[in-house]
Amino acid sequence: MSGIIDFANAIFKPLIDLGAAPMMLIVLTIIALIFRVKFSKALEGGIKLAIALTAISAVIGLLTTAFQDALNAFVKSTGIQLSVTDLGWAPLATITWGSPYTLFFLLVMVIVNIVMIVMNKTNTLDVDIFDIWHLAFVGLLAMFFGANLLITTCLVIFIGVLKIINSDLMKPTFNDLLHAPSSNPMTTTHMNYMMNPIIMVFDKIFDVIFPWLDKFDFDAAALNKKIGFWGSKFAIGIYLGIFIGLLSHQGVKEIFTLSFTAAFCLELFSLIGSWFIAAVEPLSQGITDFANKKLKGRTMNVGLDWPFVAGRAEIWAAANVLAPIMLLEALVLPGNKILPLGGIIAMGVTPALLVVTRGKIIRMIIIGALELPLFLWAGTLSAPMVTATAKKLGAFPKGLASGTMISHSTMEGPIEKFLAYLVGNASTGQIKFVLYAALALVAYLLLFMWYAKQMKKRNKIYADEAAAKAAK
Amino acid sequence: MFKILAACGAGVNSSHQIKDALETEMSNRGYEVQADAVMVKDITEDMMKDYDLFTPIAATDLGFTPSCPVVDAGPILYRMPAMAAPVYDQVEQAIKDSGKA
Repeated sequence: MSGIIDFANAIFKPLIDLGAAPMMLIVLTIIALIFRVKFSKALEGGIKLAIALTAISAVIGLLTTAFQDALNAFVKSTGIQLSVTDLGWAPLATITWGSPYTLFFLLVMVIVNIVMIVMNKTNTLDVDIFDIWHLAFVGLLAMFFGANLLITTCLVIFIGVLKIINSDLMKPTFNDLLHAPSSNPMTTTHMNYMMNPIIMVFDKIFDVIFPWLDKFDFDAAALNKKIGFWGSKFAIGIYLGIFIGLLSHQGVKEIFTLSFTAAFCLELFSLIGSWFIAAVEPLSQGITDFANKKLKGRTMNVGLDWPFVAGRAEIWAAANVLAPIMLLEALVLPGNKILPLGGIIAMGVTPALLVVTRGKIIRMIIIGALELPLFLWAGTLSAPMVTATAKKLGAFPKGLASGTMISHSTMEGPIEKFLAYLVGNASTGQIKFVLYAALALVAYLLLFMWYAKQMKKRNKIYADEAAAKAAK
Repeated sequence: MFKILAACGAGVNSSHQIKDALETEMSNRGYEVQADAVMVKDITEDMMKDYDLFTPIAATDLGFTPSCPVVDAGPILYRMPAMAAPVYDQVEQAIKDSGKA
């Protein structure tokens, strides 16, 4: 056994010692070549990933350094211990894609997806390769808390299978929301829709107790139009710079500096995020071609990234209204350590609200406000792992105080992060956690099964309506 | 120069795939186009005036009627050339109709 480990170390250690960016350049290029991507395209993707990793590290450093003194003063002057900086999704995606385990989980889920299709357990081919990072993040978190690779892989497959089943369950609702015919193949396995079961519990409570609130639904598109640029990324950076600057008693000049720094960092995070999606593009096409070849042209639904429903104005109206609510909740929520910044426009929260409530905007806002604490707690729970991983990548400035941490306030899959925490700790042999993890996994599965039953009822109504329409 | 506006949730993933695909395919067909990718929520009526074509993923409610033609570009994301081809044809037709061919 030690011989195998020595042999593996002899091969992989020099690669790991190069650092994350060069290592991922080599690993991504090789994996793309395995999927028969042309060498120049494979190398282009690898180089783009390395550049994105380097760039995101630099911007994280800029933001955390600029805000360190102000956040310390903020804690002193307000007594509020919000010591975790919220960077939004792009840095976390980059950090997760900086781990070779992400590629491993990707390969596992490609196989799982193909097996499910062949066994007729799903009709969805997932081509959203990039967003495997949400599931990989859960895996990395489980490993951080103590799970070995085998247990982590089992957890990833368990959640991954439910995600794929969920894409089939949601398909008719997407057609309804998009006013699309049943021939429309768009669906998604995105992690944010794994909140659907919990949202559905709230939605059923609404049906029974507060159905009259639906009368107060307003025109979401009109609200978005009024908000205009005031809800843009850079505007949010400005607000938060002013907010933190004022509460930490900074001077006018410092407040301007904080605001502009936050604004340009939020813009740059998205820009760099786009490079790094481009980096994975050749591999995504290679895997899709490979899967299509294996499936011999069978017609099926296509799993995309969530924004094919981004044209629904309710998503943005709810996100805009939830932003200040989340800020207030973050200030008073026991156990929360995150001050919302990069993730304050809750794109990881509102799409699932849209699907379950089918666009009832008041329900979206109220249920969203009720579930936001889960996201803040999950972000707080993940902060040590995110910070440790960023440090390994060299994405963390050396001068920062040891207690400074980074995370994301509205990252998709908060429940799955709690599962990762429990499974990880259970793997270390603590009986208490073994019990908690077992109970949590059973509860998670049962809730999903109940949700699946509700969605099947909903889908039957859609099918009956379509049949009645066709008969006319 | 024919200008296209692509849009998605974060303005970085799906919309960038559409932008890259349209720029590459239209260039192959001999047209000079420039596509920009943005967040749906950041689109304003003023912004839309700078573009000749809007290519969302699917039906999009902006709160106003776009001043330029609209082509749903979602099928580009399926990664299957046969399904993307009708989108490219519609975009090519829009370029011809604009007089900027």
